[in-house]
Amino acid sequence: MTSATFPPSPPEQESWSRYFGFNTDAKVIGIQYIVTAFFFFLIGGLLAMIIRGELITPASDLVDRTVYNGIYTMHGTIMLFLFIFPVLNGLNNLLIPTMIGAPDMAFPRLNAVAFWLVPIFGTLLIASFFVPGGPAYSGWWSYPPVSIQNPLGHFINGQGLWITAVALSGVASIMGALNFVTTILRMRAPGMGFFRMPVFCWTALAAQSLQLIGLPALTGGAVMLLMDLSFGTSFYQPEGGGDPVLYQHFFWFYSHPAVYVIILPVFGIFSELFPVYSRKPLFGYVYVCLASFIIVGLGLVVWVHHMFPSGVTQWMRNLFMFTTMLIAVPTGVKVFAWLGTIWRGKLRLTTPMLFCLGGLFNFVFAGITGIMLATVPVDIHVSNTYFVVGHFHYVIYGAAVMGIFAAVYHWFPKFIGRMPYEGLGKLHFLLTFVGANLNFLPMHPLGLMGMPRRVSSYDPEFAFWNVLASLGAFLLGVSIIPFLLNMVSAWVRGDRAPHNPWNAIGLEWLLPSPPPEDNFGEHVPTVISRPYGYGLGEPLVEHQAEIERELTLQEASA
Amino acid sequence: MTPPPASPRSLISRLGLVALIAWIALLVVLSWWVAQVSYTWLPVQASTAAPLVDGLFSFETGIGTFVFAAVVSVMVWVVLMHRAEKYDESDAEPIEGNTRLEVIWTVIPFVLVMAIAVYAMRVNTSLGVLGPMEHIHLANPIEDQGGYPGDRLPAEQVEVIARQWSWEFRYPDANVSSTELHLPVDQPVTFRLVSNDVLHGFYIPAFRLKQDVIPGRAIDFNLTPTREGRYRLRDSQFSGTWFAANQADVVVESAAAYRAWLKQAASEPLQAGLSDATTEFDIRKQLNNPGWATVPPAPPPQVNVPGSNTLPHDA
Amino acid sequence: MTATIPQHQSEHPKHNLTGFIIFLCSESVIFLAFFSGFALLKTSALNWLPAGVEGLEWRTPLINTVVLISSSGTIWLAERCMAKGNLLGFRAFWLVTMALGAYFLYGQAVEWGGLQFGFTSGVFGGTFYLLTGFHGLHVATGVFLMGLMLVKSFIPQNYAGGEQGVQATSLFWHFVDVIWIILFVLIYVWQRS
Repeated sequence: MTSATFPPSPPEQESWSRYFGFNTDAKVIGIQYIVTAFFFFLIGGLLAMIIRGELITPASDLVDRTVYNGIYTMHGTIMLFLFIFPVLNGLNNLLIPTMIGAPDMAFPRLNAVAFWLVPIFGTLLIASFFVPGGPAYSGWWSYPPVSIQNPLGHFINGQGLWITAVALSGVASIMGALNFVTTILRMRAPGMGFFRMPVFCWTALAAQSLQLIGLPALTGGAVMLLMDLSFGTSFYQPEGGGDPVLYQHFFWFYSHPAVYVIILPVFGIFSELFPVYSRKPLFGYVYVCLASFIIVGLGLVVWVHHMFPSGVTQWMRNLFMFTTMLIAVPTGVKVFAWLGTIWRGKLRLTTPMLFCLGGLFNFVFAGITGIMLATVPVDIHVSNTYFVVGHFHYVIYGAAVMGIFAAVYHWFPKFIGRMPYEGLGKLHFLLTFVGANLNFLPMHPLGLMGMPRRVSSYDPEFAFWNVLASLGAFLLGVSIIPFLLNMVSAWVRGDRAPHNPWNAIGLEWLLPSPPPEDNFGEHVPTVISRPYGYGLGEPLVEHQAEIERELTLQEASA
Repeated sequence: MTPPPASPRSLISRLGLVALIAWIALLVVLSWWVAQVSYTWLPVQASTAAPLVDGLFSFETGIGTFVFAAVVSVMVWVVLMHRAEKYDESDAEPIEGNTRLEVIWTVIPFVLVMAIAVYAMRVNTSLGVLGPMEHIHLANPIEDQGGYPGDRLPAEQVEVIARQWSWEFRYPDANVSSTELHLPVDQPVTFRLVSNDVLHGFYIPAFRLKQDVIPGRAIDFNLTPTREGRYRLRDSQFSGTWFAANQADVVVESAAAYRAWLKQAASEPLQAGLSDATTEFDIRKQLNNPGWATVPPAPPPQVNVPGSNTLPHDA
Repeated sequence: MTATIPQHQSEHPKHNLTGFIIFLCSESVIFLAFFSGFALLKTSALNWLPAGVEGLEWRTPLINTVVLISSSGTIWLAERCMAKGNLLGFRAFWLVTMALGAYFLYGQAVEWGGLQFGFTSGVFGGTFYLLTGFHGLHVATGVFLMGLMLVKSFIPQNYAGGEQGVQATSLFWHFVDVIWIILFVLIYVWQRS
């Protein structure tokens, strides 16, 4: 569908039904991923409301303990495998081809297959609520032996469905990773060397490399877990000579890098957005790019810090404490780069910028509690307590989810072709920022006082902070309302978006809003300068003025 | 091509420099104060490990407060002072980077985290908690009848048996068992931690110590309680339905009181020990088992002294 | 309702091979996970071998190893023929490779049939069958892929533009071979301690 003239005209009103079928256009797949992910976000969020409803009082008085355990397990599982990873893959699909000037992903059909696995394993996972015995109940870690006890002794059980769903999720993720990595390595626009590539693509490359290296270890460990559960093997059962701690090594060898898979794209989002809304180049662009890969390397050798109180030896604890501490250094480089970017900028506090600032604030706080957790003596006291729950929710909700919201508001005009409502956006930000801090800050004193995590009841001295946390959670629940209202009404009746509403620098902003199916098609512009050239007065691509003029004319005549 | 950095003269005025130094000093004071306050966020210190752990935590809180406050100060300053004018759509100064700054903010954090790591490693060593962790065979019929395992090390003074969902404590030298842990104050004790079924976590917040209990292993664990009182032992590694109810009390008392308790206990007949899970399970059965499937609780261990876990505790 | 795939996709054959190589690197990690699990369990188990089992017979597996390594040689020869345009030579060596691979699978099945322990015979049984089974699955997949490539070689002009499928299958086969060598050393050679 390449057009004879450039820039190509925006597509006519395409049928919305294409979002419901097997479509190989990365931009359609991206929307499919994001909408599906937010659907599961609502389910995971509902489960969180039940958890906090139970924990607002010390006794186990809202739901049965088995129900609580199933719910907190599925909350974590759904939020990770059905929300965070899919929504980030959605952003990858929208942004990678358009940012590098490619018409689509390297393997469009594989791309669609990878997406469609998500509702499939999502259904499998939700179905586990309805099998006899209920869903998996041992946390999203599924540590044996407790996860393979299978109380009812049925072959089809919640835990088995959980393992199958997670394995399928791994397959889907590897398919995606192959696609993203190949696309970034092979399909960049002429003139776009690695050090002219947007940081979002750097962090995507880094994150997806981690997926490729780490996921197979989880798959291997999960296969062995499934064998133990379903066929009576003894990989992790001590009676047969197995070792429960072996599972922990497999699990965390992937799941630690997984947290970098989550946060690296968010670092990429911050790196893209701070320059736009400060009208200033990204400070130390090259160092920010390189830091992404230092994080990849270090991220692969820290996993035992999740196992400090487990059955690991003293020398292992010390070694992994040192490697874990080192990750603070490249992360710090990025944080300081963002501060350097906004310093003496001309800030516009739009919704995306507010989410980035709030996300950065929460991230620095989480980084500090992370350093505390890295030191073995403190970790021995607070591991498996609410201190850890507070830490990772600050990172995931406080930083990553806020970064994702920032990205949604920022690129909504580009890919949907309409402007979101600023007022609702700012309200969403306020409720989210207050709600997240109110929900997750009290978890830190709880952990320090010794309240374990995953408990369906607790001693009365923990009540005060739990009440505050639950109120914060309910506020977070409410905060989603302006977001959903905004998305739906903007999509249906928002103002038409021009090709570059934020006056940003980047290849994606040289396309119509929304872009045609094959983006630049045959007329990929040649990149002639570094990204984020705010204030330098140089064009990003050859013939940029003509391209801009054509786009503006198109919009005027529409 | 990076434009040269702005000259220092134009970066900051003398007044600005004084104000900056004053602000930093204020942050230092604030951080020191928060570090002191951080001790109050933790439970009472009841073991030799506690002051070491709390000292490390306080140190980290101080540094963390300073870093966080400094970053937030920059962000607040920028949001207040570096906003675009209402109709100003132009770009800001195109500062692309500063290599010297990059080096500074790579080296200083590196040195800082390594220093914290070295300090932490020293604390870790002086905690001296971890002993051998041999692999063993799982549940021995002798053990179930109150006997002691043949592969017990002589140093192991208290055997802790974790089950779904109760904690049993055995004192082989005194031939006593209970579901309430008694320890003499200021005396080092070595535990032998075993599990009969799944992973559990032996966690006493007042001691700041925790060790996962792993089925198929006997893990030696050392500590010295330093304060008399009643504390909580909580299961910290998710172990199934009644994980949250798998708690016991730890009574630290004078050596004389401890010896008296042991002597009294040895003469008590065996009876069912504490297991909230068993009580709740029975109630649940009467309600026709609402909820999803569960493994039935292991029968409460037969012990000399069940003790109590509903008395008020210090931490 | 599928969108048409842009014309230039087929003009970038490098993509497929790149993607496949990346996939193989990822796949090797799962074997690495199984290998390290095997090593850890072996060195820490109280009773490694099941009751009544003294060890593994290594002579027949050694023959199978030689067969598999030879098949890597024949597949390389096949690729050389293809590069020179010698389709007949290609098909001949390709077929020999398939036969050697099939013989390996047969040998594996015979070994399995004669063993005194099962999948659930403790941790040794579990790891043995998991490793050899997962590897055997890869050998079977390799033979299948080779069959596909062989059939495709009869379609006229199929390889005129590029032999990516053959290259990928060959890479896969070498990969399977290297995995076996590591496996053989781990399971059959390292039988003490």
